[in-house]
Amino acid sequence: MEAVLQTKNLSKRFKGRWAVRDLNIEVFRGDVFSFLGPNGAGKSTTIRMILTLLMPSSGSIEIFGEDLHHNRGAVLARVCGIVEKPDFYLYLSAYKNLEILGSMTRGVQRREIMEVLDLVGLAPRAFDKVRTYSHGMKQRLGIAQALLTKPELIILDEPTTGFDPQGMKEVREMIRTLSTERKMTIFLSTHLLSEVEQVATRMAVINHGELIAQGSVSDLLDRETTHYSIQVVPNAPALDLIERLPWVELISHDNNRLEVRIAEGRASELNRLFISNGIEVSSIFPHKTLEDFFLKVTRGKAAI
Amino acid sequence: MKLFLLETFKTFSRWRTYISFAVIALIVILTEVVMKLSGDEIVNRMLKPFQRDFFISGNVLNVWLITAFIMNSLHIHIPFLITLVAGDMVSSEATAGTIRFLLIRPPSRIRIITAKYLTALFYTAILVIFFAVLCVCLGLTLFGSGDLIVHHYGQFDVAFIPESEVPVRIFLSFIAAIWAMSVVASIAFLFSTLAENSIGPIIGTMAVVIVFLVLGSLPLDFFRMLKPYFFTTHMINLWQQFLEVPIQWHVIVRSAIVLGIHNICLFLTAMFMFKRKDIKS
Repeated sequence: MEAVLQTKNLSKRFKGRWAVRDLNIEVFRGDVFSFLGPNGAGKSTTIRMILTLLMPSSGSIEIFGEDLHHNRGAVLARVCGIVEKPDFYLYLSAYKNLEILGSMTRGVQRREIMEVLDLVGLAPRAFDKVRTYSHGMKQRLGIAQALLTKPELIILDEPTTGFDPQGMKEVREMIRTLSTERKMTIFLSTHLLSEVEQVATRMAVINHGELIAQGSVSDLLDRETTHYSIQVVPNAPALDLIERLPWVELISHDNNRLEVRIAEGRASELNRLFISNGIEVSSIFPHKTLEDFFLKVTRGKAAI
Repeated sequence: MKLFLLETFKTFSRWRTYISFAVIALIVILTEVVMKLSGDEIVNRMLKPFQRDFFISGNVLNVWLITAFIMNSLHIHIPFLITLVAGDMVSSEATAGTIRFLLIRPPSRIRIITAKYLTALFYTAILVIFFAVLCVCLGLTLFGSGDLIVHHYGQFDVAFIPESEVPVRIFLSFIAAIWAMSVVASIAFLFSTLAENSIGPIIGTMAVVIVFLVLGSLPLDFFRMLKPYFFTTHMINLWQQFLEVPIQWHVIVRSAIVLGIHNICLFLTAMFMFKRKDIKS
């Protein structure tokens, strides 16, 4: 597979503190690559280095096989980035904003601008100042911006921040469209796990500036199945038993259903204990949730 | 060139840019109207020491005298008006977040900062030209032409520049004023690359200009000794020399070079800072 984006020992230090340290990630062509991490983990710092807004303290970035530092202009002509929210000149019209953007990238025709504005439903307001646009309209203009220059790689930093559920859904649909219909590679930074579960094909998890997991979403989840749903009768003795077991964490219970988190490979041991204590177990099955995976890897620091 | 045109388009699409033109129009119109009403009295007061020994005739209160009179306020209000835009060139993009819009595109930071700097200089030139055209056109309408009387306040000397020579001198004087004011634009521009808001560069630039003007005018030997090294000294010298009799070309050349060096140093510093700047916002 062709690597579209690679970071090699990428590091950034701010006033004696490492925001990102020795980061090695790989994004392949066609990926919807999710870059996960808790707040302050170093996601935005990494994205800003990839988009040349921040200078790395050490390490390098390769995009399309070319060193970003040495071929900045040529590389960025094939990339579109939206950091946190699309930024536009509010005192100019949507048309003028896109014209400026286009002329800074490769030069675009009026027809191309009107086409993308039409695609996102903004053609009737093309010549209105962006100041008069609603939040959703600005976001759609951001999509138009991403489409206009026909980039091969789109980098989105927290694209759903400040959105209502409908807005979030629209952004997710936009990501799917760009990936499946337009064959663009998407690099998506987020801390919303539901977003990742719904759209990502590969992911990396970062914490305290260091990479702690990287791979395809399905592979990583298969490795980490620690959340179990157990159907037991009777309920009360089962709860008593769990309280006495330090390696079992009770998440919730409802009638005869228990939700627990346990270490890998100990499900059968728990089952045996239930039976030996006269508790009937009618079902026990694992949940492969990204949330569990994420919480586990961000609690410990061991690399996966 | 394309980036310069884009920057110019953006600058002249903002209403803030036109505040300066409105202020200049107001100052020039008010001054010339008041001079029309009470200018004779001012001229009489100015020439009173000479009237015992000389007979002065002709249209003394003419467009050139009025223009020179208004130009004397150049170093006070024009710098402030220049900082409104030059101090905003980079910092306003940081405030609005559009700096990211710019810097993640293919053009290099050096090309972007150069285009912005040229736009700041272009705006400065346009502002001074507007000032000149308004002064002269309105002055010609209200006062007509004539010889220019040159008098240094507090000194017993007076000189005349003939009517045939004055337009060229005034023209050169305004060209020199553009060069002088470009230093103010450069200072504001440098501060703009360092700040994340527009107020800082405006206040910072005005503080620098005022401090140097005040220190240069203090009647203390220490500051008199330093005065030739202040950029404000050369800023004023440069354009005023074109209205002196005779013109001291060596002073003009020296001041133009000193101001040019200031411009180059300030721009290179701005470029260096901007190239290394981390965009964290």
